[in-house]
Amino acid sequence: MRYVDEFRNAELIEKTAQEIRRRVDPSKRYRLMEVCGGHTFSIFRFGIQELLPENIELVHGPGCPVCVLPMGRMDDGLNLAKDPSVIFTAFGDVMRVPGSHGSPLEFKAKGADVRMVYSPLDALKLAVQNPDRQVVFFAIGFETTAPSTALTLLRAREMGVRNFFVLSNHVLILPAIRAILESPDMRIDGFLGPGHVSTVIGARPYEFIARHYGKPVVISGFEPLDLLQSILMLVRQIEEGRAAVENQYSRVVPWDGNRAALAAMAEVFEVRPFFEWRGLGFISQSALKLRPEFAPWDAEVQFEIAGLRVTDPKAAQCGEVLKGVLKPFQCKLFGKTCTPERPVGALMVSSEGACAAYYHHVYARQAVGE
Amino acid sequence: MDRELARYGERRLREDGCATCGDVAVPVRVIAVSGREATVEDRAGVRISVAIDFVPDAKAGEILLVHMGVAIGRALEVAL
Repeated sequence: MRYVDEFRNAELIEKTAQEIRRRVDPSKRYRLMEVCGGHTFSIFRFGIQELLPENIELVHGPGCPVCVLPMGRMDDGLNLAKDPSVIFTAFGDVMRVPGSHGSPLEFKAKGADVRMVYSPLDALKLAVQNPDRQVVFFAIGFETTAPSTALTLLRAREMGVRNFFVLSNHVLILPAIRAILESPDMRIDGFLGPGHVSTVIGARPYEFIARHYGKPVVISGFEPLDLLQSILMLVRQIEEGRAAVENQYSRVVPWDGNRAALAAMAEVFEVRPFFEWRGLGFISQSALKLRPEFAPWDAEVQFEIAGLRVTDPKAAQCGEVLKGVLKPFQCKLFGKTCTPERPVGALMVSSEGACAAYYHHVYARQAVGE
Repeated sequence: MDRELARYGERRLREDGCATCGDVAVPVRVIAVSGREATVEDRAGVRISVAIDFVPDAKAGEILLVHMGVAIGRALEVAL
């Protein structure tokens, strides 16, 4: 029983929350950003904010790859799906992401061969099973997902499969954090580092945040006690005037990451000079493309890609929410023209986007008078 | 149900099928290893085959973290 209860133990949770209340300086405000959408989801689900003193504010970060994918990239991908020789494959969650002319699901309804896959390895299998078709995998995700795509490409090369192509939209978490730190309206006092991204990249790469920007980072797990312990560790650092990288989630995060996964990523990918993020704009060296050695499998080389740019609606204030300047409900469109059913802005698209999470867990409850 | 897995998160394999959060991984127990693949089981008893290229020497009984059909990490603590 010990294992199950350990990170949800009500007594330990209350004790940790008390310790946080004891440690904070009531005259100060603490703005802590959870970078990762999984944390955002846990924070809402377990009501973590309610356990904290009023002057600790959790700011929801950019850690949702679907949310930060610019609409033009979706359009580029879906243009490929129009080709009858192409089988367009993507993860389940990409299926609902709106492009300018509809989502992958809507393209499927119109007759395009669009298929949902659980793993990029499944897309590769489809290519083997359909040698007369061209299978395109619309790759998306942070460093958690990029190793899977890399492994699939290494296997495609090894197996000599030549009808499998990747359209890479993989992005990197550290340049996004740097962009937030460089933003003139930045007001973050500390970061909760992503748990599973760090399983791959380790804790070491966050050191620049502490060293150059003087902000503490604590890599956190996803259970309620994980999050509270991590918040306590951040408060302690701030109160002691320290800025360091600490690893609360050491039960799965090695300091140096997963070497085999990092080696596969380095073999397959190189960093793009710049890439557009929805809500954050162009960020230099923030995304991965295939190395020239993998050109035979690179959809950007083997197909005509228009490189479309589609501007988000001006009224949507996703960028401000992503940087923690505005709360979701402070955006003019929130809950009115922008809802999870009909998302206008990036953060309303997926259930772990800050706006959608807020909408489901707070706004909807208030709306029914709970 | 494998309760020890809960220490490493509450996700089950059927909840890993989306990239919504780029930071999701599912804790699973290794049932059997065969070359570069392993049969693994989640908390709900669902079994799938995953690639274990990134967790060299994975052994039956061990806890791994799986994301999109690939094991990306392992439990670093020895279970008590």
